[in-house]
Amino acid sequence: MRRQARRWKGSVVSSAPSFLERHEFLLRRLHSLAGLVPVGAYMMVHLAVNASVFGSPRIFQRLVFHIHSLGPVLPLVEWTFIFLPIIFHGAFGLFITTGVKPNIEAYPYNSNLRYTLQRATGVIAFLFIFWHVFHMHGWFHNHFWVTYVAHPLMGAEFSPYNAGSSAALAMQASFLVPVLYTIGILAVVFHFSNGLFTLGITWGIWISPTAQERAKLLANVVFVIFAVAGMASIVGLYSMSQEKIAEVRAEEDEAYKVLVETGDIVPNPEKHSPLSEYAPGKHSDAEESDVEEGE
Amino acid sequence: MIAHANKPKTFFVKILRQDAPGKPSYWEKFELDYEPELNVISVLQKIAAKATTAGGQKTTPVCWDCGCLEEVCGACTMVINNKVRQSCSALVDKLLEDGREIELKPMSKFPVVRDLYVDRSRMFNALKKVKAWIPVDGYYDLGPGPKQSRGDQEMAYPLSECMTCGCCVEACPQYSKIELTPNVGETPEEFEDRKVDTFNRNFVGAAAISQVALFNLNPTGKMNAGERLDALTEEGGIQVCGNAQNCVAVCPKKIPLTMSIGRIGRAVTFNTLRKWFDRPAKKH
Amino acid sequence: MADKRVLVVGGGLGGLSATMKLAELGIKVDLMSLTPVKRSHSVCAQGGINSVNDATRQLGDNEYKHFDDTVYGGDFLNHQPPVYEMAMWAPKVIDLMDRLGVTFNRTQEGFLDRRRFGGTLYKRTAFAGATTGQQLLYALDEQVRRWEVEGLVKKHEMWDFLGPILNDNGQCVGAVAQDLFSMEIKSFKADAVVVASGGCGLIYGRSTMSMTCNGSAASRCMQAGAKYGNAEFIQVHPTAIPGADKLRLMSESARGEGGRVWVPRKPHDSRAPKEIPDSERYYFLEERYPEYGNLVPRDIATREIFDVCVNGGLSVEENRQCVYLDLTHIEASELNRKLGGILDIYRKFQGVDPCYTPMRIFPAVHYSMGGLWTNYDKKESGGLIAGSPKNQATSIPNLYAIGEVDYHYHGANRLGANSLLSCIFSGLFVAPGLETLLSNQGPGSVAAEQPQSLYDEAVKKQQERHESLLKQSGEENPYLIHQEMGALMTNAATVVRHNNQLEEAIGKLADLKARAWKCSLSDTGTWSNQNVLFTKAMQDMFPIAEAILKGALARDECRGAHYKPEFQLPGLTAEDPAEHRRQAEEWCDKFEQNIQKFLKTSVSTYDGKDVTISYEDVDTSIEPPRPRFYGLVGAEQISEVWQERKKKKKEAAQAAVTN
Ligand SMILES: Cc1cc2nc3c(=O)[nH]c(=O)nc-3n(C[C@H](O)[C@H](O)[C@H](O)COP(=O)(O)OP(=O)(O)OC[C@H]3O[C@@H](n4cnc5c(N)ncnc54)[C@H](O)[C@@H]3O)c2cc1C
Ligand code: HEM
Ligand code: HEM
Ligand code: SF4
Ligand code: SF4
Ligand code: FES
Repeated sequence: MRRQARRWKGSVVSSAPSFLERHEFLLRRLHSLAGLVPVGAYMMVHLAVNASVFGSPRIFQRLVFHIHSLGPVLPLVEWTFIFLPIIFHGAFGLFITTGVKPNIEAYPYNSNLRYTLQRATGVIAFLFIFWHVFHMHGWFHNHFWVTYVAHPLMGAEFSPYNAGSSAALAMQASFLVPVLYTIGILAVVFHFSNGLFTLGITWGIWISPTAQERAKLLANVVFVIFAVAGMASIVGLYSMSQEKIAEVRAEEDEAYKVLVETGDIVPNPEKHSPLSEYAPGKHSDAEESDVEEGE
Repeated sequence: MIAHANKPKTFFVKILRQDAPGKPSYWEKFELDYEPELNVISVLQKIAAKATTAGGQKTTPVCWDCGCLEEVCGACTMVINNKVRQSCSALVDKLLEDGREIELKPMSKFPVVRDLYVDRSRMFNALKKVKAWIPVDGYYDLGPGPKQSRGDQEMAYPLSECMTCGCCVEACPQYSKIELTPNVGETPEEFEDRKVDTFNRNFVGAAAISQVALFNLNPTGKMNAGERLDALTEEGGIQVCGNAQNCVAVCPKKIPLTMSIGRIGRAVTFNTLRKWFDRPAKKH
Repeated sequence: MADKRVLVVGGGLGGLSATMKLAELGIKVDLMSLTPVKRSHSVCAQGGINSVNDATRQLGDNEYKHFDDTVYGGDFLNHQPPVYEMAMWAPKVIDLMDRLGVTFNRTQEGFLDRRRFGGTLYKRTAFAGATTGQQLLYALDEQVRRWEVEGLVKKHEMWDFLGPILNDNGQCVGAVAQDLFSMEIKSFKADAVVVASGGCGLIYGRSTMSMTCNGSAASRCMQAGAKYGNAEFIQVHPTAIPGADKLRLMSESARGEGGRVWVPRKPHDSRAPKEIPDSERYYFLEERYPEYGNLVPRDIATREIFDVCVNGGLSVEENRQCVYLDLTHIEASELNRKLGGILDIYRKFQGVDPCYTPMRIFPAVHYSMGGLWTNYDKKESGGLIAGSPKNQATSIPNLYAIGEVDYHYHGANRLGANSLLSCIFSGLFVAPGLETLLSNQGPGSVAAEQPQSLYDEAVKKQQERHESLLKQSGEENPYLIHQEMGALMTNAATVVRHNNQLEEAIGKLADLKARAWKCSLSDTGTWSNQNVLFTKAMQDMFPIAEAILKGALARDECRGAHYKPEFQLPGLTAEDPAEHRRQAEEWCDKFEQNIQKFLKTSVSTYDGKDVTISYEDVDTSIEPPRPRFYGLVGAEQISEVWQERKKKKKEAAQAAVTN
């Protein structure tokens, strides 16, 4: 909107360019880079990890334990390498998108369609990720927030120490959840795969038309791979029966017990599903320790 | 051969007109007798000679821009049936394949001077911004230029065909219109400065980026490659491109614009890093 | 010289090269053009630009031969010193353009590639794909943009030059011009004005030229008193694609690859060409010239096509003159391989594939050899004195002309790829002369010293013309008058000229002229009024049109592009050797008489009402004129006689010196 105001008739040009104007090139390049690392890289790992739930909730839980073995530094890692880059990339992406008029009806070419979808999926991704992180992770692990804000709004449903079972329940909370996830995943995965293609032009990796055509093909392959991975985890979680969930939960609790004993993970009742035998209030050992997650 | 038999006796041309900058635009419809082998320029010539609308009302001739009528001068760009192109190569027989009406609009990314005539000075300004020339010592006889490989010539030649027609930027979703009017109390010089400043701070567009690719390929031009790349990392530089690739799809000269964008994208990255680490420019 | 300024009118190759060289010399330039200079007509040139080069030199070529080809091609009507100078400069001009980044085609070793063009035996022509003119123009445009950034050049694009401003001494001290958008009429002070406004093809209605080639600037100089030279010499290209808006060039190579030219024997046969059986087709070139067939020389092809349509009434179409150029008997794949590029032009603009449907073509006006009369300062050793302010000066002091609008490089006929050269050369060459002019300009002639009233008066006069045009009421439509003028000129003064037709045309032109001042405008607005600008340009076409017709009428001979069948020297008919020899002698006598009478520049002047023609001698001091024989019967015998005479003259001259 700032741009609009300056462009249109009459108004005086501010002679001192703003921060955004002075560093437009740098910011755009950082934006592009952030799309690949860490955000894109995270997405790939994340979807791969999640896909494992389709085959084996046990592997999934093991991978999640692995991540959570970071213990108290995890939030710091999450914020620095995941949340802030996504927020930067997303917010700057929205800024780039506003004020641009798509012209796909007049110029219905493949690349223009991709360009338009890149922006549309960016917006969907923004909404999806905002909701999705709230839904699963909750954004903050402050006790008050989780109990009085997140949970009542169907947020923070995921319990890392009961990864498969809680994720499955979260996915089954309503038929809308898998629907929204499907839309979100397809949007994000398209956004990422096409982003790879455009990133290659932006940074001059594929230059000739032939190279670009091949890169486009590659991007489509990436799309298919991660779309399948995403769908696999949704199907895996949504189709898990109640009996199976209970079974998985029991296994998770079992594993938890072993890992706490070996000292690989820090006990934390907040990371358990309320249905777990280690859930807050159920098991006396771990009751006092929600301080670590306070943010 | 296009069959003339099934052509209508007459056809309509709908033109989005505007009497002067800042004035409202309005549609006017003209009816013309069908003749084979017309193009949009000859249609406009006929309208100018007749100056009567389809409703039989006298009107002013439509104002438009043209020059070579061979698709080399770049003057006659307009939006024909919603797509930007050169009107001299827009054949009526082809346009009538989808109906009895042809719709003409001025380019939407440039200020309208009158009717279909737009002011593309922003594009010429971009050529100044990126220093699109070979900085020779002078015009005295200093012998021949440097030898160049056939491969380099074949790479450069298509780029050098750019006729600043503006199709690429008209179709580019990242290129937005700039229309300024003088402020009260502003001298023409001040207005001009403000205009140039505004142009320089908004997207240069694919044509200018491709010209940088052209001059940075030339053995002499290369010596100042850095300056041109610097210009493209200022505000409104190459970073604004969103890779919609419409530019290359509509360029009437089939200039490989996205290739230039890729090549320059790479060059600006290295150039910026080199500057950041205070390294001298690449030796050639 | 800080405050001195030069105004350059026109930003084609001529105007831009002058501007850039002037800026290099530190002279401030105002550059005026009807279009952004990058869109000037020079972009259209396809073929290339000539110069002697290292490769041709080793085959025996040199600057003198380039000079000789040019004056021979121009039928010796060219003034020789400037042509000589141009030929000497040609290699340097190409070196410079190469340095400026023109994307000339390369050999595999990386040198400039060359091709052969008409009128010479050597591969002199450097080229950049099929858009040499465009590439040359852009290189100059870029340099001028550089000077614009440096502040030495100020562009006034979308301004129409309305005429020079002369002071009481008849010196040019500036110009009046009109903004195409705001319609503002303004005076420009200038210590010298250079007109580089290109050709005047629009006088013929449609031609191969751009829409800005209306000759208005030249006419306005002529109306201010400048002399106009060789108006009647207009080059016509045999094969162009007739379009409703323009006649686009179709390269001769289509005939070279086996294209056959024909018309239906039945006038305006309405059948599709493929349905017309061979027996009902008239392959007139093959029938009339069994030896050469479709590959007769350019001028003969032009004349015959013209003759079949205009005099024979056999045009393919009733309302438009054209003949078939047929390639359909050749395999499409072969055509596309050999002629792809040029066939694409036809496909693009006609929407028809010439591989399957015969092309419709007709000769088209292509170039004006004539133009504003200009002077030169000759060196004893041949060539010109560099830096002399006389070079390229028109008959109005301080008013200069270069490029196509100047008349003295191409004589009666221009060779292919020589025009781009003459444009750039004359632009580069005029600059040092202007520098001398400006530094020697005495008091009284400097623009800054002229009374303001002089400029105000000039603006007022143009303002009055403008306003009276807007107010004018009458029956006439300027566009239709232009169409009529085009048809009139095309019929009377292109390829084949007959005195009765020319006389008639002069009368008709006078009527048209009277009507041209009775136009009422459909647009009387005050913003971007193309209607009034067009009407002015159209009215200003009349003096040049009249000069062309009158010049053609007065010239009772055949020379270069000017062809009058009644006055053609016939070929030799006799079988008997002695008689044959006698005829050859007679031929040479006639030829010499003709030189005496017509080897002269025609000079047109305009007194405000009429054009008057007078004649000036042509400087043939470097290479004496000799006959040109194109397919003339008995050419060998004539040539022999001519050589003998030449030898005798030389001996006589030597004897005179030794005595
Ligand atoms: C189709 C075609 C192909 C050709 N191919 C070749 C070739 O291969 N080789 C070759 O040597 N030659 C060729 N020629 C000839 C050559 O292109 C021209 O002779 C040459 O370009 C003329 O250049 P110029 O600088 O004199 O004028 P132009 O390029 O015509 O420029 C004229 C300038 O004057 C301006 N102007 C005109 N009137 C006014 C006015 N009233 N007020 C203000 N400005 C005005 C115009 O805006 C323009 O900037 C070809 C010509 C044609 C038509
Ligand atoms: C099949 C689809 C997906 C499933 C089942 C899924 C599942 C989960 C789960 C269970 C969490 C919580 C992890 C935790 O709190 O430790 C989570 C967090 C998160 N997800 Fe997803 N996710 C999916 C797709 C995506 C996609 C496409 C993105 C976009 C990049 C994404 C981004 C995130 C982010 C940013 C977090 C929070 C960071 C974190 O907790 O480590 N997710 N997701
Ligand atoms: C949060 C919401 C998001 C928004 C609004 C958004 C927006 C955008 C936009 C507008 C672009 C185009 C930039 C340009 O053309 O200059 C873009 C590019 C990109 N995005 Fe996103 N994006 C978001 C999330 C993501 C995510 C989650 C990923 C990774 C999984 C991602 C990866 C990329 C990549 C790789 C690019 C390509 C960069 C380039 O072309 O140089 N984005 N994004
Ligand atoms: S790049 Fe193509 S579309 Fe753009 S201005 Fe040049 S010729 Fe026109
Ligand atoms: S590739 Fe870039 S310059 Fe070309 S149309 Fe797309 S955004 Fe515009
Ligand atoms: S008139 Fe020159 S490009 Fe159409």
